[in-house]
Amino acid sequence: MRRSHRMFDLGAARIAVRSPIESFHQQLDLVYRDYGEEDPAGFADVRVALLPGHPLRLWKRQIALWSEGSRPFEPYPVGSGLPLFEWGGNWLLAQRLNAYLLLHAGVLARNDRALILPAAPGSGKSTLTCALHLAGWRFLSDEFGVLDPDSGDLLPLLKPAALKNRSIGIIGQHPRARLGPVFHGTRKGDVAHFVPLRDSIADRHRPARPRLIIFPRFRDGAALCCTPIHTADAAMRLGLNSFNYRTLGTVGFDAVVRLARATRAFELEYGDLSAAIAHIDALFAEHA
Amino acid sequence: MKPPLSRELQLLLRALSAPLDTDITTWERLLRLARMTALHGRLAAANRDNPTLPAPVRRHLLSAERVCAFNNQMLRAELTELAALCDGSFPVLVVKGGAYALQGQRFARGRFVSDVDLLVPRDHLRAMEQGLRAAGWVPAQLDPYDERYYRDWSHETPPMRFPGRFLEVDLHHAITPVTGSLCFDPAQLFDASVLLADSPFRVLSAEDQVLHACVHCFQDGDLALRVREVVDIDGLVRAAATQDGFWKRLLERAGQLGLQLPLWYGLHFAHAWMETPLAPGALDALPGPSTLSRSLMDRLVPLAMLPHDPDHPPPAPVRVARLAMLARYHLQRMPPSMLVPHLARKAALRLRGRFTRTPAQKTESQP
Repeated sequence: MRRSHRMFDLGAARIAVRSPIESFHQQLDLVYRDYGEEDPAGFADVRVALLPGHPLRLWKRQIALWSEGSRPFEPYPVGSGLPLFEWGGNWLLAQRLNAYLLLHAGVLARNDRALILPAAPGSGKSTLTCALHLAGWRFLSDEFGVLDPDSGDLLPLLKPAALKNRSIGIIGQHPRARLGPVFHGTRKGDVAHFVPLRDSIADRHRPARPRLIIFPRFRDGAALCCTPIHTADAAMRLGLNSFNYRTLGTVGFDAVVRLARATRAFELEYGDLSAAIAHIDALFAEHA
Repeated sequence: MKPPLSRELQLLLRALSAPLDTDITTWERLLRLARMTALHGRLAAANRDNPTLPAPVRRHLLSAERVCAFNNQMLRAELTELAALCDGSFPVLVVKGGAYALQGQRFARGRFVSDVDLLVPRDHLRAMEQGLRAAGWVPAQLDPYDERYYRDWSHETPPMRFPGRFLEVDLHHAITPVTGSLCFDPAQLFDASVLLADSPFRVLSAEDQVLHACVHCFQDGDLALRVREVVDIDGLVRAAATQDGFWKRLLERAGQLGLQLPLWYGLHFAHAWMETPLAPGALDALPGPSTLSRSLMDRLVPLAMLPHDPDHPPPAPVRVARLAMLARYHLQRMPPSMLVPHLARKAALRLRGRFTRTPAQKTESQP
């Protein structure tokens, strides 16, 4: 049984976890292999334990996430340690990283110039982020676009991307894509975790300058449609697609205004992934 | 005699009022203990200009400071809206966190509030409640039993919230449960209350604020991880003790209102944990608990109120202590002849809920 924590460096934050449950460690090994492990005695932004839901329960066993001596969520089935760790870890990070503006956005970069994909859940953000990454972009984040309000830079936060349902097949068929196990029937349907490529993990402490913002929206069968967004409108939409815009008060307002002014923004509706990628490449070449 | 504190907790409680210079590993533990007990805002306020902070710690304290600033802004916004409903026809007191903020108390810097507590005379409770409803506040949806519990047996109305806003408003007409053993006529609180400058609200007198904090801590609620209540008592006492004659007035007032026991506990634990300076002989002047109660409380209160090791679920002694303190609270709140049917009914409802509903996931609306 493993007693000490395993610490992963995600870039802008470090997360440590301990668990006596071996199947969870096997899932971690698959998804976090390329991250390497840090000294567990070092500083962790989030430190959790994944423990058996109830030690005496023999049937339909569960796994529970403990943080600071309490259990913020209902337990998951014992085999679903990784989704619980990923989801719970995100929730805890979002509570604690208010030194930054946290956008709900995929972030990618070329030559340290960043493309931001802010979007509501269900708009195809993760699929597009992973597809762009596999097409050669550096991966900074899928869930959290971490903006440092002091420097105006985006910081990588390399959580594995949680792909849902159809996206699992679409991204999984790519020869370079590496996915963790598929978890069936979670609250969000089937989920599998996409592991960012090694180069991006190695660059997890390299910030990028924001250049282009695209609000993506996938719609089955839609023709590609790209509309420019006015700076003021982009700033407001960035606020709406943020985890902590309200909490940050004037810091958040200043940050989204500065970000919108430093970038060009577009809305992109698409039904074909490769056409969207080609269009984004062209936009980026023109504006970044 | 002092109930002992671990070195970590001593550091944490000290770092709530003065900058701390320690290594990053200790800081991580302190941050976690502070989050467990909702003291991280105060930790941030006291260490704002601390030049020795390691960068990740500074980031976490900045994060706490921002969350706290937002919380405070929501509090002030709510109070501004509520002020418009005070027409001066009866006194409206702001109590607890709202009062500390409006008074600009030093210890209110970095203090989180979870709701806005108002105290109005019982005769005007309905008028105030109707005023709130007419202005758009909506009471929490309760079943008829809970509604009756609040109305008849409690000292507050069901919480109300303005749709879309963050903080709930609790209207109280007393500071002790009307069915409890410490019940007294709250008119005395209004008589001694103090008008706030530039505000239609009043606050309790300094002595009554200390007594209220002690009652709230030791008689009125779940003690689990509530060390922050003792931190409040410390802050109130330190602020008020600068006034001439404070200790004499405090002890007399405790006698008048029959609140000597909660005051004794409040001062005892504030002195033990926060090194709150007490007037010589203050504790001895109060009729304190029996030797047995005292030794039980000295064992159980630290287990229940202080944070345990954040790496582990609460160990058995902590769970037992929390349960014992909860039982004590319920017994003080109402006589057993009312308590037993009340708890039985609650348990039956919970059991029924388990069979008729699938267990609800806890909130995931806010990531």
